[in-house]
Amino acid sequence: MKRKQNIHDLLNELKIDERFANQISHWHTLPEREANLVPFPSTLDERICDSLVRKGIRALYSHQATSFEAVEKGHHVVAVTPTASGKSLCYHLPVIQAISKDSDTRALYLFPTKALAYDQKTELNDWVNDMGIPVKSYTYDGDTPSNIRQVVRKAGNIVITNPDMLHSAILPHHTKWVSFFENLRYIVIDELHIYRGVFGSHVANVIRRLLRICTFYGSTPQFICTSATIANPKELAEQLTGQSMTLIDNNGAPAGKKHFIFYNPPVVNQQLHIRKSATLEARSLAENFLSNGVQTIVFARSRVRVEILLSYLQQLVQRKLGPKSIRGYRGGYLPAERREIEQGLRSGDIMGVVSTNALELGVDIGQLQVCIMAGYPGSVASTWQQAGRAGRRQGESVVIMVAGSSPLDQYVMRHPEYFFDRSPESARINPDNLIILVDQLKCAAYELPFQAGEQFGGVEIEEILHFLTEEQVLHFQRNKWYWMNDSFPAHNISLRSASQENVVIIDQSNVANVRVIGEMDRFSAMTLLHDEAIYLHQGVQFQVEKLDFEEKKAWVREVQVDYYTDANLAVQLKVLEIDKQRTMPPGVMGYGDVTVNAMATIFKKIKFETHDNIGSGPIHLPEEELHTSAAWVSWQEEDLRSLGLKELEYGLVGLAHVLRHVAPLFVMCDPQDLHVVPQRKAVHSGQPTIFLYDRYPGGIGLSEQVYKQWDQVLLNAEEAIEACPCAEGCPSCVGAEATGKELARVLITMMKGVGGTCH
Amino acid sequence: MSLKSKLQRMKSHLAKDAPSQLVPSPPSRDIPYLPQWEELQAKPFFFENEYIMIRETRYPLSYRHGRYSFEKLPELVEQWNQGRASHPLSTSGTQASDLLFFDTETTGLHGGTGNTIFLLGYARVLSDQVIVKQYFLPGPHEEVAFYQGFLSDVRELKNLVTYNGKAFDWPQVKTRHTLLRDLVPQLPLFGHYDLLHGSRRLWKDHLPSCRLSIVEQQILGVHRQDDTPGYMAPLLYFDFLKEQDPSIMKGVLEHNEWDVLSLITLYIHLSSLLQGRDLAGCTPHERFQIGRWYEQAGDQLKAVEFYRSCQDLQPAQLSLAALYKKMKDWDQAIALWEQVAVGNSPLLTEVYTELSKGYEHHRKDYERALFYADKAYETWKLYRKKLGKEKEPFVKRMERLEKKCKLR
Repeated sequence: MKRKQNIHDLLNELKIDERFANQISHWHTLPEREANLVPFPSTLDERICDSLVRKGIRALYSHQATSFEAVEKGHHVVAVTPTASGKSLCYHLPVIQAISKDSDTRALYLFPTKALAYDQKTELNDWVNDMGIPVKSYTYDGDTPSNIRQVVRKAGNIVITNPDMLHSAILPHHTKWVSFFENLRYIVIDELHIYRGVFGSHVANVIRRLLRICTFYGSTPQFICTSATIANPKELAEQLTGQSMTLIDNNGAPAGKKHFIFYNPPVVNQQLHIRKSATLEARSLAENFLSNGVQTIVFARSRVRVEILLSYLQQLVQRKLGPKSIRGYRGGYLPAERREIEQGLRSGDIMGVVSTNALELGVDIGQLQVCIMAGYPGSVASTWQQAGRAGRRQGESVVIMVAGSSPLDQYVMRHPEYFFDRSPESARINPDNLIILVDQLKCAAYELPFQAGEQFGGVEIEEILHFLTEEQVLHFQRNKWYWMNDSFPAHNISLRSASQENVVIIDQSNVANVRVIGEMDRFSAMTLLHDEAIYLHQGVQFQVEKLDFEEKKAWVREVQVDYYTDANLAVQLKVLEIDKQRTMPPGVMGYGDVTVNAMATIFKKIKFETHDNIGSGPIHLPEEELHTSAAWVSWQEEDLRSLGLKELEYGLVGLAHVLRHVAPLFVMCDPQDLHVVPQRKAVHSGQPTIFLYDRYPGGIGLSEQVYKQWDQVLLNAEEAIEACPCAEGCPSCVGAEATGKELARVLITMMKGVGGTCH
Repeated sequence: MSLKSKLQRMKSHLAKDAPSQLVPSPPSRDIPYLPQWEELQAKPFFFENEYIMIRETRYPLSYRHGRYSFEKLPELVEQWNQGRASHPLSTSGTQASDLLFFDTETTGLHGGTGNTIFLLGYARVLSDQVIVKQYFLPGPHEEVAFYQGFLSDVRELKNLVTYNGKAFDWPQVKTRHTLLRDLVPQLPLFGHYDLLHGSRRLWKDHLPSCRLSIVEQQILGVHRQDDTPGYMAPLLYFDFLKEQDPSIMKGVLEHNEWDVLSLITLYIHLSSLLQGRDLAGCTPHERFQIGRWYEQAGDQLKAVEFYRSCQDLQPAQLSLAALYKKMKDWDQAIALWEQVAVGNSPLLTEVYTELSKGYEHHRKDYERALFYADKAYETWKLYRKKLGKEKEPFVKRMERLEKKCKLR
């Protein structure tokens, strides 16, 4: 048996071994970075200094000291720091300093998840215990026993919780927290960058509610936020909190050497320019590291891929490493299972983990040496987050990004500079999304009545309050709107998703021990948990025996088959109202409100390894309706008549395929959040049209951004098509089914108004 | 597109709260429908620029509500004062007229800041009559007058008698009071007799649920006619806010009035059971539960009295024996255990073990102790599956006793 190789040997082998070496399109080395240290601020309480010294900290990183000083001056701050840069001191120091001066001081820490909150509390308590300053810190979440809850409310200096808990348990019961709100001086928001899209838009409103209640109790707390690297941390923090922020970005933490390798799988079908699957390549690469005992994390882009990769890897290394040492990690696993995996990673009992972006969050899993991404994660920010999982506490580390066949992945492979030079994407939220705003106003009215003329985060809301009065939710009397309904609004409103209820997944393999193994949102369930679907959980295959959509239950049973399932979603789209429009002869660009009807139609069974289609079946589920905003672009049919009907359709499908991948680049979103639909004859105009719409009721501003940046989006779509080496079109540009490369080009040329002739 | 039409279209995405109906809201200082209010015996109470309605109804002491007439209450309170029993429901140290039988009606069933109390009602048994007083909130804006009126009237809340008031009504009063805390008098200290707790102890195994309406029917002999069920109250109140017509609230006011009157009857009934005045009238199960209640309240003598009155109800005998043991009255305990120890049942493992211990440590009769240790072991073997537990202690005890016997 070969001796185990270390990471250095393995890297050399990568460079030499033809199997891999030829596929490396770019090898970037990020040099070590020295620490930038500054002495403790002179005002910092001595007990705090001493305890830091006892922890082995004799000076602060520059960003920690700057945060402390800015907060002391009374600024709201947002600190941008990479992983493992000691960001928590940015808020602990000023907060504990304030508590040391006045033991009545209260602070609220918000973490996006319960797990992160729990990690923080443990770390914080370990530290403050020997400080000699009585700092009472508690987590407050669904698991907090009721006798402890009272203590937390009455006496907790630092209350650590998550936005969901704030939304549904703290704010609606604010009268039980009087002394807390009266003395609230700091609100800490960690992992700020997570609060984007729908979730962020909701949370911004929860913070509006929080501040409204603070005003009622006479406090004006200061915000301290920390964020991973995004393009617009200041803007996001300001949108989220409604306060003007001081940006702190002088990161002074050291970092180890990091190899960033761009890996493009070999072409297996020259004609169609199809490459070997990223999943399979990532598997081989990961196997190489894992079997040499190098702790490795593999990121996959969907839950299904996680499970596929996991079962591959578990089989491969089972003999060498034992069955338990490679685990999956994604949303839908139950919390206890996740905690166990995190613990195993820290202790080294678990050698490898295959994850979705669920592990992007700051959950502490300790130091991994290698990170492999099966496919471009979809955004620059997200890529850096995932890359940060390797070598977060210094030392040499490796990040390998394995490209998929999608236009976006291939674009990144061709343009490493795009990745390294470009500032990461902006995080967008739209707190004034009507659906979100209305839901949140209900909660706010439940908490305190609204005065006539009162604004909500600077927004005029009178019209909405009138609407809610007509809906019999509020009662208007003497210039005030009062909550007047027998429901508890926060219970009906979830911050995390559009569909309020999740489908529970129930394993009935063992009749004597029927158990819940996970959950999934309703929209995903349509395509992942339909009858006969193969659902994968921790590498184990389950077949869905019955999806009870009404009752939100999926009954599954363990099976062993050599295929997975993939479902089709049929989408219809109607324009309801045109808000903005510009003519760009010979085309029209528009933006407005649309209705989308989606229905799962059929599913295919796809064989592992070969990815052959080996069967299919219908899906019988009700249609889902969505009202949202969309941007669209349409052509004049008469200009394109000479192309022929079939050809026109191919061209639209092809261009839509490119746009689906390129547009998310410019609006910074998960490709899941922005859908693209081509129509040969749009209902509203009768013209050939491509729609790009937001996947959340009411829209969250993505398609509006597409409307604004259309020229740029189009240019890049064109570039993606031109740069692709295929002849007629391939999955890396216009898609495999349409031979529409030339046709898509024609459409773009037409749209640009240059020449405008067709052949 | 206008915001409103957008909202209309997106209605299906919004969380549902209520059926839609139009709400005209006439904010006027004249009291609408005053004659109708007067017909309901309600009068306005003004405070600053606000008003509420206060409704007062009176009953003669001899009025019979369910199985008792109200005049029974002063007798029972007197009895508590004279007796020495210590019990959570004892009103020793107070007068019947101090008791405030209290209930609220709210706009929602979940506790929370936005849940408004719109009706506070209480009944009081005075020396010559029973008075029910109800404070009604004619609109959310009048809440200051509402609490002002109520708090300046009652002054003391040391003797609230409620049904589930500890978990619901009182926290809700505190919540709403907090919102107005700068505008209304402070909440006085309060003392609390929550009758739900007692009802659960005595009847939860025998009633489908311990809702007040069920207890009324099955235990108190109160039969309501044309009652407006409690869950309708919020919806009727919302209607009232639109229409302002007090006839809409008539049913809710009567329901609340009925509730506080039933609390009097329930308190009378519980007190007379607890005082043991009608032992024949209550079931052995009730007497057993009362005994346990006294025992937990720390009144061992009362507990013994009630356990003994249960005759041969086995759980009561076991509790009694255990209590004797606690009181170090070994003779009584052993006698009882021996009385119980017949036949076979998993429970007897424990009884035999206790007997064995009693004979070993207190009577120093090791043969007899061994006999019972043996019996305990045999019984355990019979039911080992059900009992779980380790074999060890049984064997050890037998070995030890065998040694002791030999030493003799």
